[in-house]
Amino acid sequence: MLTKLALRNVFRNRRRSAITLLVIVFGAVGLILFGGYKAITFHGLRESTIRNRLGHLQIYKAGFERAEAKKPLEYGLEDVAQLRRAIQSDKRVRMTTAQITLMGLVSNGDKSETFMATGVEPKEDKAMNAQRLVSGTDLPANESDAVILGRGLAASMHAKPGDYLTLMSTTTSGSLNAIDVRVAGIFMSGVKEYDDRAIKMPLAGAQQLLQTTKVERLLVMLNDTDDTASVRADLTTLFAKNHWALEMKDWSQLATFYHQVVALYNGIFGFIGMVVFAIVIFSVANTIVMSIFERTREIGTMMAIGTTRARILRLFLAEGLMIGVIGGVAGLLFGFGISNLINRVHIMLPPPPGYTQGYPLRVMLQPGILITAFLIAVITSTLSSILPALKASRLKIVDALGHI
Amino acid sequence: MHQQPLVRLLDVTRTYPLGRVNVRALTGVSLDIDRGDFLALAGPSGSGKTTLLNLIGCIDKPDSGRILIDGVDVTPVPLHRLAATRRDTLGFIFQTFNLIPVLTAYENVEYPLLLQHVPAVQRRKRVLDWLEQVGLSDQARQRPDQLSGGQRQRVAIARAMAGQPKLVLADEPTANLDSVTAAKILDLLETLNARTRCTFIFATHDPALMSRAQRCVRMHDGALVDEPLLEARAS
Repeated sequence: MLTKLALRNVFRNRRRSAITLLVIVFGAVGLILFGGYKAITFHGLRESTIRNRLGHLQIYKAGFERAEAKKPLEYGLEDVAQLRRAIQSDKRVRMTTAQITLMGLVSNGDKSETFMATGVEPKEDKAMNAQRLVSGTDLPANESDAVILGRGLAASMHAKPGDYLTLMSTTTSGSLNAIDVRVAGIFMSGVKEYDDRAIKMPLAGAQQLLQTTKVERLLVMLNDTDDTASVRADLTTLFAKNHWALEMKDWSQLATFYHQVVALYNGIFGFIGMVVFAIVIFSVANTIVMSIFERTREIGTMMAIGTTRARILRLFLAEGLMIGVIGGVAGLLFGFGISNLINRVHIMLPPPPGYTQGYPLRVMLQPGILITAFLIAVITSTLSSILPALKASRLKIVDALGHI
Repeated sequence: MHQQPLVRLLDVTRTYPLGRVNVRALTGVSLDIDRGDFLALAGPSGSGKTTLLNLIGCIDKPDSGRILIDGVDVTPVPLHRLAATRRDTLGFIFQTFNLIPVLTAYENVEYPLLLQHVPAVQRRKRVLDWLEQVGLSDQARQRPDQLSGGQRQRVAIARAMAGQPKLVLADEPTANLDSVTAAKILDLLETLNARTRCTFIFATHDPALMSRAQRCVRMHDGALVDEPLLEARAS
């Protein structure tokens, strides 16, 4: 009877209930869309950060992180072949690749600029798909003196594919060394500040410039990001068993920008959630208060014929709950529909701060987001009916019966 | 053996604040109402009839004095703790019918039985029986807004009676009805009183209703004026 009464009362004033439901639906749809947008952004950013730049795990010689090396690659890895074999025997590992980072001066004969270079293995680097070529070719597999330049640096050096530049840096023994390199191509990563300084060169070329056979770190790429923790644990065991003095970091420890974006979006999402929460609370509370005002005499009658306070309280809470459930379900349906629509029409968004490329607006529908939106609708709606329901249950029967 | 009265009022006083002044709605009312009575509380507007009904109906509290319902002193018990007494012992009939608009005639009559946790089969039997007794078997599925005033009051009577109360309180039950319908409602109430021996107390200023009461208690300015015993109509 309580359910029947509550349900019929919800639909008693159809227009008012429709407006309240609309508010809840808007709120739920807003949460679903923003939540879905947030999810796909996090996922995309995480995967691109890992696959294009950081790898899932990075392995260094023990002391690399803590020690302030007096010379370049003082804490470099000597012979990584055995280590790579051991790691790649794991089926969860897609590949490993060695890298060196170095800084120095690049000159075209007329002017010099500072550069930040990454020495990479061309074949593996290609698989990481880290950059987009705007002209020329990618790093050739067997040419140690070819480089590709960031677009900003290329512009600054007036360099185009086929031109020669000179790179100068400090070697591992502390002396200066310079090599001539051929510009194979020009790339853009999307981050302007990086593109203004970046060079990519074959690992062999970087080793030649630094006069070393060491590498700085080994990147481990996995097939599935969710395996990161388990692979890390297994590798830690492997290193200990073989007495390899190595240290390791996972992508999450290295992805500062990713964590900043996550914190920012979560903050915005939390704020939007609070706004939705407040709007739904006020809207539902208003509906219930109006309903109680209109039904005061009815409440008085129900209490006069023996309905307890608790039952009156439950009745109005049930009405709040039902508004929430109906609004939540409608919100899910609309949210689902609108999300699919957005994913189909390919709306392009402008480039985010620090990026030069726009990206398509997409929404990822995750069960967690749908459940959260539904629960927020139901919980806020029920919560907002508590005070009015308490008020209704404490009406004086005689006054309520005399209410017109 | 002298039977205990169903309702006993002992020196009951009730004062209402009205703006800055206090209005004495009841001043030292003492009254016994016996089981099976068909009693009219008569008097002009403001004489205290409704206040007295509210106090007997356990929906209001006296400022002083004592009220005993079926031998139990209800005066010290807070109103919200008297919900069970109202549910099990009392029935209410209102001037404006006061049915629950979203429930059908059937569901309105069923409502007090649900509060009493009457089992489903028995509940259905009783609801149908009472709808038949008030002549509304065909209107069971109608909602109050689809019924006439007289029909609504019949539903209200069925609702009041379905819980098998010992006492039914009716505040101006015929005031919102035309004279023909009012007469039919009175016939019905009289029949029910005779058949069930349930006690009926009416607040009224309708001479027709007063004339049909077994006992008429007249009120004026919050006090009982006199209490002539009317001949039992049955005799």
